[in-house]
Amino acid sequence: MRFLKFLMFSLMVLSSISLYGKETKIVMTGSTTVLPIAQRIAEVYMSMYPDVVISVRGGGSGVGITALLEGRTDIATSSRKIKDEEIKTGREKGIFIKEIEIAKDGIVIIVNKNNPVSNITIDELKKIYTGEITNWNKLGGPNQPIVVISRDLSSGTFEVFKEIVLKNAKMSENCLMLASNNAVSSTVSTTPWAIGYVGLGYITEDVKPLTLNNVIPSEKTVRDGTYKLSRSLYFYLNGEPKGEIKKFIEFTLSETGQKLVKESGFIPLK
Amino acid sequence: MKFKLFLMVFVLVVTQSLFGLETKIKGEFWNRYTLKMEGMDVKNSYFSLERGYFTLEPKFNDNLKGRFTLNFFSAVNKDFKDGAGLKLKYAYLDFVKLLPQLNTNLSFGLIKHYFGTIYDWNYTTIEKALEDREKIASSTDYGISLNGILPKGYGEYQLSILNGEGYKKSLTDVNIFPEYCVNVRLIPFPGITIGGSYLYENKAIHPDSTAKIRSAYAGVGRIKFGILDFWAEYLQGTYIDSVSSGYMFMPVFSIGNISKIDMEIVLRYDFWNPDKEAENDAFKKLTAGFNWNILRDESFKPVVFLQVNGERTFYDDTTKKATDVVTVQLRWIISNTIK
Repeated sequence: MRFLKFLMFSLMVLSSISLYGKETKIVMTGSTTVLPIAQRIAEVYMSMYPDVVISVRGGGSGVGITALLEGRTDIATSSRKIKDEEIKTGREKGIFIKEIEIAKDGIVIIVNKNNPVSNITIDELKKIYTGEITNWNKLGGPNQPIVVISRDLSSGTFEVFKEIVLKNAKMSENCLMLASNNAVSSTVSTTPWAIGYVGLGYITEDVKPLTLNNVIPSEKTVRDGTYKLSRSLYFYLNGEPKGEIKKFIEFTLSETGQKLVKESGFIPLK
Repeated sequence: MKFKLFLMVFVLVVTQSLFGLETKIKGEFWNRYTLKMEGMDVKNSYFSLERGYFTLEPKFNDNLKGRFTLNFFSAVNKDFKDGAGLKLKYAYLDFVKLLPQLNTNLSFGLIKHYFGTIYDWNYTTIEKALEDREKIASSTDYGISLNGILPKGYGEYQLSILNGEGYKKSLTDVNIFPEYCVNVRLIPFPGITIGGSYLYENKAIHPDSTAKIRSAYAGVGRIKFGILDFWAEYLQGTYIDSVSSGYMFMPVFSIGNISKIDMEIVLRYDFWNPDKEAENDAFKKLTAGFNWNILRDESFKPVVFLQVNGERTFYDDTTKKATDVVTVQLRWIISNTIK
């Protein structure tokens, strides 16, 4: 009995200590695609409310969702929809998964600036990434081998690419798997016969975006659904947002927040 | 010799698995110190590697995955003269998304035994799950299982057909009658899980022999609210005419999210009556301890943690003294994915 009393007292003391100063800290973890949006909005929000500290971490959509399920982050950022199995794990742990769509994005196929090819189809892409097409001359380009670059397996961008393009076929073992959009963009810009894919916000002047089925990747074509490689970007929370997190979500979805989404190179909801 | 043979098989599987789309290689090790006492008499005091799991999880494509696990451990009996024992723990293929709309998988091989709490028992206490410790159900067995997740994460279900011997005594008691096992877990509200399992097997060797029915059922409840994670299980097993039953309660307080100490405080109470007809053979176990998560990986899953448990067993038989066991265990996990 004495032990139980001691245990309860210790828990109460620890709770009181931890509650002090906790309201003003928000932790966000997850998708590297969502990272620039999260960082930009967090920066502006912190400048508006200096007493709020927002920590933004990457790692991939899967890492963010696991962190939410482990109770280690306030907001999981994700470039894919949460899976039923993850929702089940959350429910077992008393977590009510709340999904908030914060932006839209297109996945853009990029090649080196000097590559003459300018259009590709989803079927051709599948053949490239499964190893069936290995030379640019099959696509109307020069007789040069294709250097295939992909995002790594923990990436939500990879999950969406796999679902829409690969249709769950086995990816070629010759694919170079890279950990971030920036790494893909930078490698394609310095590798003459490379092909890769990145979020719309990662297009730079150093790479050449391809049209997909003759559709230019743009805000308009992603929004109207004519550009097929598109997806929504999400925040996932444990339950309805409250306090500072609610204010931050409201800010993200506000006109100012959505303007920051656009500034980051992504597509606002409206 | 057996050990070398297993190692050869292991190396072969490692090599083969690299041809998969991706292969996760994982190791988990349990370094343990155990002190057993009866009254004030020390009965045992020793260090051991209680478990050393090596796991390969090849993913051939999104619809086909495998799992192969070997368990190396410090051996304390004459069967393992080299100082280490070895058991095959998992060896199965998972046919994923068999019915995509229903989130259904089919597992075939040495698979998880979906019964009670044993299949997702994460050793929050160092002690085993109730059905494992009392040998009502083994944690894995050879067979086939249809596994599904209910839409929107409202629960899960499994229907299995197994040998019924478990992985430790596989092929020692094989007959023509398999074990049938059904398990359901429902999560009507976040944080509230209820479930039940039932298994049935005729252990008679021949259809004309007298039936030797082995059956068992378990009811499971879990409440997760704030820092409290409360588990409860009722279990009953029957073999021919002998009925055993008992229950377990386990409150776990995770103080990691409310303090600087990444720790769980664990309490557990077990009651077990091995034979309802017999007198004075029941016992109770009271366990208290903590799990200190020393290190987490990039996904925030614990990879190095210290478990300390004190367990006292009280016997209904008044001629038996209460026994105490103190265990200190360092668990560490390594994993990497080859793409």
